[in-house]
Amino acid sequence: MTPSGGPCLTLLVAGDRPRMHVVVSHRPADRRSFDAKVKTNTAQCLPIDSIPSLTGDRRVPVRDCGGGEGCVESMVVCGWSERSIGCGGGSWGTTAVGSSRWHVGVAVAVTAMAGIALAATFVVSSRRGSLKSPWSRRKRKRVLSHRYWNCLFTPEGKLRDGGFKFLKKVRSGGIDPSIRSEVWPFLLGVYDLNSSALERIAVKAQKRKEYENLRLRCCMLANHSYQGNSLLTIDEIFNEVIPQCNEEPESPRSCEDDTSRFSLFMEGCHGDRPLYDKTPDSASCNLEEGDDEEDKTGIYHVDTLQVETDSSDSESSVEELLGVAEPDHKLTNSGSLAHDTSIRTVEDFTTWQRIIRLDAIRANAEWVIYSPSQAAVSEEVANQSAEAVQLKDYSHLEPCMIYHAARLVAVLEAYAVYDPEIGYCQGMSDLLSPILTVMDEDHEAFWCFVGFMRKARHNFRLDEVGIRRQLAIVSRIIRSKDAQFYGHLEKLQAEDCFFVYRMVVVLFRRELTFEQTVCLWEVMWADQAAIRAGIGRSAWGRIRLRAPPTDDLLLYAIAACVLQRRKLIIERYSSMDEIMRECNSMAGQLDVWKLLDDAHDLIVTLHDKI
Amino acid sequence: MAYMSDDDYDYLFKVVLIGDSGVGKSNLLSRFTKNEFSLESKSTIGVEFAARSIQVSEKIVKAQIWDTAGQERYRAITSAYYRGAVGALVIYDVTRNATFENLERWLKELRDHTDSNAVIMLVGNKADLRHLRVVSTEDGKALAERENTFFMETSALESMNVDHAFTEVLTEIFHVVSRKALVAGDAVAVLPKGQTISVSMEDEVSALKKKVGCC
Repeated sequence: MTPSGGPCLTLLVAGDRPRMHVVVSHRPADRRSFDAKVKTNTAQCLPIDSIPSLTGDRRVPVRDCGGGEGCVESMVVCGWSERSIGCGGGSWGTTAVGSSRWHVGVAVAVTAMAGIALAATFVVSSRRGSLKSPWSRRKRKRVLSHRYWNCLFTPEGKLRDGGFKFLKKVRSGGIDPSIRSEVWPFLLGVYDLNSSALERIAVKAQKRKEYENLRLRCCMLANHSYQGNSLLTIDEIFNEVIPQCNEEPESPRSCEDDTSRFSLFMEGCHGDRPLYDKTPDSASCNLEEGDDEEDKTGIYHVDTLQVETDSSDSESSVEELLGVAEPDHKLTNSGSLAHDTSIRTVEDFTTWQRIIRLDAIRANAEWVIYSPSQAAVSEEVANQSAEAVQLKDYSHLEPCMIYHAARLVAVLEAYAVYDPEIGYCQGMSDLLSPILTVMDEDHEAFWCFVGFMRKARHNFRLDEVGIRRQLAIVSRIIRSKDAQFYGHLEKLQAEDCFFVYRMVVVLFRRELTFEQTVCLWEVMWADQAAIRAGIGRSAWGRIRLRAPPTDDLLLYAIAACVLQRRKLIIERYSSMDEIMRECNSMAGQLDVWKLLDDAHDLIVTLHDKI
Repeated sequence: MAYMSDDDYDYLFKVVLIGDSGVGKSNLLSRFTKNEFSLESKSTIGVEFAARSIQVSEKIVKAQIWDTAGQERYRAITSAYYRGAVGALVIYDVTRNATFENLERWLKELRDHTDSNAVIMLVGNKADLRHLRVVSTEDGKALAERENTFFMETSALESMNVDHAFTEVLTEIFHVVSRKALVAGDAVAVLPKGQTISVSMEDEVSALKKKVGCC
């Protein structure tokens, strides 16, 4: 309920994007109330972030017209309003809050009105009838606030109930932006849910060292990869430079794939081309240009690799990476992909380095308003960070974008060395960018990214097994939920659901705004963390959100998103191409909490069948 | 060239854009279909497409252009979309030699997956970066002659030759299809969902005739 004396926010949102009406109410401590009515045609215009109640640090009670009511930290109001205005929501979040591109101002007129400080109304209308108020059916959940978060810990800094309340809260409402950097390492398995504050300090120091070692290996690879004059392992080079770093770190509480240990060998091929180039079709390995190509004799040999995979294919994966032995035997077994094996080659670290830089300098600026400290980075610091990772062609970028690009390169390269089975695949930078925004330190961002990639890495596997499995699940969900619609997809030969490929690969990052994406991911991570922690289905049965945690929440959300458009697709689309165009142009049209509501409904009814 | 409405066309041709990551495929497409260019255009994940109609010999030709991811990793999904394409722009970056050297592999892959009648053009993009150029126009032309394809140098940034390149490919497809239609005695359109059509290399005429359909 609304605490007395708190400010009250009313958002009245009607019509499409440019015609939103926002009403802000304040109730000062002396209980005299002010009602600030915001209408586009009245009073002065100011950007949304200059409205005190949207940017200040006070708690703002909010209520929607459907009776849902809650109290959220005021910073969240931006995100919350964004997700609550349905069809226009995404765009509003991006434009009014995010960028000046649309020059959407919000007109505010303050009129004193006594006694109705609690009035808060949402009127949402959109072009899509399916996107009404996000909480039309279910009470809106509160975010995990700073205060609640602090209350969850014992004096020793342990989560009181093994993280159950914490995860329950996050799955239903997301996290207050101000504490994300603190909470994400728990959510992503960097810290164990049962760890104490002291243990976490040790883990953090250890992980920092491990990350720094990975970065050093990256630098070694960059500096030595084309000299290839003798059989030399990266570890040997490593020892020459800093012998003390070669001790294998003993992580006291490492996450499950921290055991990944490998050595990258650089092996001179007696003047011949590297082993990579002996694969049937090697052109892709020759992406380096100019003189470098002539000198390229290095080969990266993955010595041992114990990265978590969903099957016991680590060894064959190593072979795939090397392009030796019998490559791609899994591919030949996977039916339709068999014909493509001849054209497949492995990618090398050099290729990854090049593509990482390519993607880093074209990252978009959407993150900037979410990290004022990184946005304000000086030109000097930005250039230094760019030089440290040998970034090129960035002269057209603002300092903050140079800095962000350099961080992307540093962390992605380290990841490619850490998980050479995956290396780098386009789309991974989309996943990392929000993490870099939230986590100011590279090493923390890296380990969060590792936690994220524990599941997401399967999307980027060379053999496409992961992506095909996921598309098959989306297809199965749709078939189980709506046979008629599935029949229509079959008729269009679209039942394989390839039209949601991008959504699966980059987990809605291209369809949702920054804030929406992060909310969705947090809920998804909470599900995955609950499963990792072994919090069983029975534990969730008591709570209102009956859907048990699932590793496949995202796939249910994708199916929900397609099912929301079933009528349009059945009535108007007569080819898979048209469905794909619809799916690829959803940016700004999705309501993330409606999507999660629908996804949870699907889980409740279907999770036993899928 | 006027931009026409989406549904008003006589012919629909599927054209694919292929080439290494970062050569400018997506920007060539957005320049042609929306007259837009962005240095921040994100990497293409899988495939995306856009359409634009142009007029050729008093007929309206709608080009459905499929933009593909350049990274090796996405090759399996992107090559699935080559099928049914009647035209292709195989793009390289005139400032990066490796992207030029990879053309032969792209061409091989394209020919493995498309009709032998498909109209192919080699496109050297980023021609505005004159001081960084490493692939000469002559080298480009020579390869195009060897490979029996069309050739054009473009700049999506400066909007140089972009319309010209697409128009030339579409016009040539139109001529090929018209010739075949004349032989087959039938009005020809090309289905957008090319994957469903089985094209026999030995029987080009019937292959094109099979493509008759409306969209």
